[in-house]
Amino acid sequence: MSMNKKKIDELIGASYRYLDQKKVEKIASLLSIKDLKKYINGLKLGEKENTLIISSSSPLNNQDLKKIIKLFPYKKIILEKDPSLMLGMRIVDNDIVYDFTLKNSLHRILSFVEQNYD
Amino acid sequence: MIDNNKIIGTLEKILTAYGGDVKIQNVGTVIKNTDGVITASGLSRAIMGEKVIFEDGNAGTVLNLDEESVSIILLGETSSVKEGDTLKTTGKMLSIEVSEELLGRVIDPLGNPQDNKPKIKKGKNMPLEKIAAGVVDREPVSTPLKTGIKAIDSMIPIGRGQRELIIGDRQTGKTAIAIDSIINQKFNKKPVVCVYVAIGQKKSTIAQVIDRLNSEGAGSYTIVVSASASDSAALQYLAPYSGCAIAEYFLDKGRDVLIVYDDLTKHAWAYRQISLVLKRPAGREAYPGDIFYLHSKLLERSVKLNKENGGGSITALPIIETQANDISAYIPTNVISITDGQIYLQTDLFNAGIRPAINVGQSVSRVGGAAQTQTIKSVSNKLRLELAQYNSVAAFAQFGSEVDPATQKQLDRGRRLTEILKQPQYFPLTENLEVLSIYAVTSGLMDDIPVDSFHRFEKDLHSFAKKNYPKVLETLSAGDRPTEQALKQISKLIDEFKKRFQ
Repeated sequence: MSMNKKKIDELIGASYRYLDQKKVEKIASLLSIKDLKKYINGLKLGEKENTLIISSSSPLNNQDLKKIIKLFPYKKIILEKDPSLMLGMRIVDNDIVYDFTLKNSLHRILSFVEQNYD
Repeated sequence: MIDNNKIIGTLEKILTAYGGDVKIQNVGTVIKNTDGVITASGLSRAIMGEKVIFEDGNAGTVLNLDEESVSIILLGETSSVKEGDTLKTTGKMLSIEVSEELLGRVIDPLGNPQDNKPKIKKGKNMPLEKIAAGVVDREPVSTPLKTGIKAIDSMIPIGRGQRELIIGDRQTGKTAIAIDSIINQKFNKKPVVCVYVAIGQKKSTIAQVIDRLNSEGAGSYTIVVSASASDSAALQYLAPYSGCAIAEYFLDKGRDVLIVYDDLTKHAWAYRQISLVLKRPAGREAYPGDIFYLHSKLLERSVKLNKENGGGSITALPIIETQANDISAYIPTNVISITDGQIYLQTDLFNAGIRPAINVGQSVSRVGGAAQTQTIKSVSNKLRLELAQYNSVAAFAQFGSEVDPATQKQLDRGRRLTEILKQPQYFPLTENLEVLSIYAVTSGLMDDIPVDSFHRFEKDLHSFAKKNYPKVLETLSAGDRPTEQALKQISKLIDEFKKRFQ
């Protein structure tokens, strides 16, 4: 019998709070293919929600990093280096992107000029 | 030589207006692409109707907000968006750039030119979806919108700001009435701006319409919004809203606009297709539950604004195609109930040579009577009455039985009236000529003219009147009820012409 969405959501929630890899594997082996797909998708979404990706052209200093950690206390932080950003940083929090880069500023000026100057 | 300082100055001016460095974007990932309907995860801050941009530059608009996903209809190439592609919200609702430059152009529902003419300069951003003007901003329909078609202007008059449905089977002349109405606007001192929205039609048919409008001199004040059968269902769904947004631009300037939706049946089909792909519950004839709202919110945007709001108007001529004359099907009944009247065209009449094939009994204009001028009202009342009498006794005549002289007179008059109401396509008439023709029959002055030479008689009568009695025609153009003296002059004109007519 396939599980309903509510139960899958409960399993995903539990996987983050109480379970370890062994238990997750155990759950996966017990689920049908259809439910397993839902479970994996749910885990992926959960992982995305709990992760904060910070991209910058040069490594962040400790002070800045501490400030960010304070702003997002329950998030797993991944630091990435992206020289194409030129200056500043980009923070990706699930589906919200905070863009403080020079590349973004230049893009915005360009599109503004394109829109207002035929 | 290019003035560098001027260019730099303009750029500086633009940059002064530019503000804000931080950009907060709401992004998402494509889960699936079902025939141009995209399901995407993320986009938690998206709002209904918001424009979204895909990583390949394609645009879309949000149509469904679910718990974990968002459904978007794609406005560009459907096959280019793949699973895993990213997209972002824009914070803007779908809109179209409108300016005076659009007049005489053919565009798609997104405002892109389709006529190989130069790029259209940016204008005012008009939202595709807009709440219709409120009751306080409106005033009753009081000015006629002349179609140049005798049968319509006399018996089913249309007023500026009215919504008059044109309904009938395929090949009954629905588009012809709409095109004639557009062509007739050129006779106005200040032409009414016309918007022709082609939805789900063959490109060849649209090309023919455009060609005809241009050759009749109607191209300069007409804008064609084209979403052909080969365009995506999304574009066909958006086309009438784009047309309406364009009409609203001119409305805001206090202009009178005529908009033709050709046709809303195909618009309903396009929306049904999108709704089924979106897995919305299907209702009657598999249409979604909000199909009525879809058309009512569109047609409610037709309006006659009061003086304080500019006094402009949008008159809508939606077209509905029926199957086997069934006006009780779902979409026809919906649109009949939304509009302020309908012009019902019938195949039988069309095949019998009555063109325009208007079924006078089932056609009605609920508000247009108030907009009719006294001139045409003076002849139309008698016309309507005599036609009704004719229709009630015509059934007996079919049996070939003998009828009394009074009935025979009614039958004869009815036949003549039916004949005079026939009108070839692309020959709209000015009101004074319409009145002249109708008066000639209702007054009995054409009783001795054989029915088969009516068309020739009418054509020659018009030329004769224009040449020899321009003042009489001028009196009939004033809009007032003709005086006894004026009627005498018309009778004199007709009598004089009859002597010359062979």
